[in-house]
Amino acid sequence: MNTDEQLVLEFQQGSRSAFVELFERYREPVYGFFRRRLENPGRAEELAQECFLALLQNVKRYEPRASFRSYLYGIAIHLVSAERRKAGREIAENEKLDERATEENAGESRDAGIWVRQALKHLGKDEREILMLKEYEQLSYEEIAGLMRLPVNTVRSRLFRARMALKEQLISVKG
Amino acid sequence: MDRSLQHAFDAEQIMAYLDGELEPQRAAALAGHLVSCAECQEAVRGFRAVSERMMGFEVEPAAQQIGATLLEALDSGNVSRNTGQAGGYEKKARVWQRLFFKPYAWAFAGIVVVLAILVIGIPTMHRSNEGLRRTLALTRLDPAFRVSQTLEQKYTDQVQQSDTAEPTPPSAVSGGRLQAPETLGPMIAQTASLSIVATNYDEASAAIERLAAAHGGYAEKLTAKTQTGSARGLSAALRIPAKQLDGFLADLRKLGHVEEESRENEEVSAQYVDLQARLKSARATEQRLIELLGTRTGKLSDVLDAERELARIRGEIESMQGQNAILVHRVTYATVQVELSEEYRERLSTTSKGTKIWNALVEGLGNLEDGAVAALIFLLAYGPSILFWLAALMLPAWLIWRRLRRPAQT
Repeated sequence: MNTDEQLVLEFQQGSRSAFVELFERYREPVYGFFRRRLENPGRAEELAQECFLALLQNVKRYEPRASFRSYLYGIAIHLVSAERRKAGREIAENEKLDERATEENAGESRDAGIWVRQALKHLGKDEREILMLKEYEQLSYEEIAGLMRLPVNTVRSRLFRARMALKEQLISVKG
Repeated sequence: MDRSLQHAFDAEQIMAYLDGELEPQRAAALAGHLVSCAECQEAVRGFRAVSERMMGFEVEPAAQQIGATLLEALDSGNVSRNTGQAGGYEKKARVWQRLFFKPYAWAFAGIVVVLAILVIGIPTMHRSNEGLRRTLALTRLDPAFRVSQTLEQKYTDQVQQSDTAEPTPPSAVSGGRLQAPETLGPMIAQTASLSIVATNYDEASAAIERLAAAHGGYAEKLTAKTQTGSARGLSAALRIPAKQLDGFLADLRKLGHVEEESRENEEVSAQYVDLQARLKSARATEQRLIELLGTRTGKLSDVLDAERELARIRGEIESMQGQNAILVHRVTYATVQVELSEEYRERLSTTSKGTKIWNALVEGLGNLEDGAVAALIFLLAYGPSILFWLAALMLPAWLIWRRLRRPAQT
């Protein structure tokens, strides 16, 4: 099976099937990336589409110095940041998240998704992003450091803090 | 997951091990340790529980529509972002929004502003009042300003006349007015320039003015230069009747060795004809106004308006007559610029070495003083501006530097 990087190089040379293959590999992960960060599923779909369109537009500029995966998630992070800036509602979003979680919590308190949403809300912005990139996007420390423009050791320590905080919450829920 | 000090591995290392981020040797050692350490096994279980819990945050599958739209865009070759839901306006707004938050965009804007001020502002600030007055005069193209423009022209002419103390040419004035030399042929304003090295400087310098007078011309300006240790020189601006120009130049060439000679003929027929037409029209208007004032009666305000208009027209006529006279004079009298210099032989210096050293020392101290004063003036004149712009640009520069430094640390 071809690696992502090989497929991108083939696509740069005009192979449509290479792009289709890449798209099939990353359609669900990219949509999941946006869906977990945005409340509106329709907007998450739009941004996932924009992410691939941006890839189509800029694929000529891609150089295989970085992994394709981190390149693609770099575009996704950029889009989601722009979306949050545009709406100017990062705080408001958290508040909505909180409200929704509280409402749903009343009827479906055992839902793991709701628990995670609520737990993530208590983390700092960078810690939350690092944890999500690690757990859901499965990026390495180095890839996360490159995307977040942070030293690798900082990524590791913040990830540790985030997991410890979640662990504490998990214990308190069980207790 | 609290780790006691006797453990060789802390919880963060266990986490890195589980993430596959620990160095191979360290990972092998930790794997061995985990077999026997119940506390570390508990830490591992804790991390795994968190990860498993997080995996419970599942999302619904992506809509198939995403793929269809994208592949359609790919096949059609239209891969602009407008294919998505975001419109072009929104995209542009986002670009500007991005630029707004970029420090380098601000730094670039600052540099552009500084350059614009340097390019546009400083020359304007240093322009003299004379230059400003001329600029204003040139921009006054509106008829309402013509009277003042004419007065200004008259004033300038008077100043020029008093500055140069031009003697009245002997044959150019006829009844107070200059006449066009040949109205049928082309009107040519001739200019000649000669650079001559005279073998007998005293004789040649005296001959220049005499020759000009002999050919019916006159010296407009004479400047003699005599400096110790260098050749003497004479610079003369002469006006010679156009018909006498060739003969005059031939006589000049006899004064010494001609190093450089040039002649230029500028046809001014079009300017002359245009000026005459405007003058004729203005005179006709003047005549009509005089007739109007003499024959018609009306309100006082109408009479005053007519007189004002008459005064304006007369001002224009005078101005045009002045221009006409200058033009005709340029044609009637050719301009000859003569640079006469002496054939110079260097003499042995009689100055002693001590005097030379003393002179050099005095000159050096003078230069030092001049330099210090110039530096002080520069600091006082530009220091506040430089400090201001440095302060304005330091913040974005610092932000850029910090931004560039981050990836380097990783």
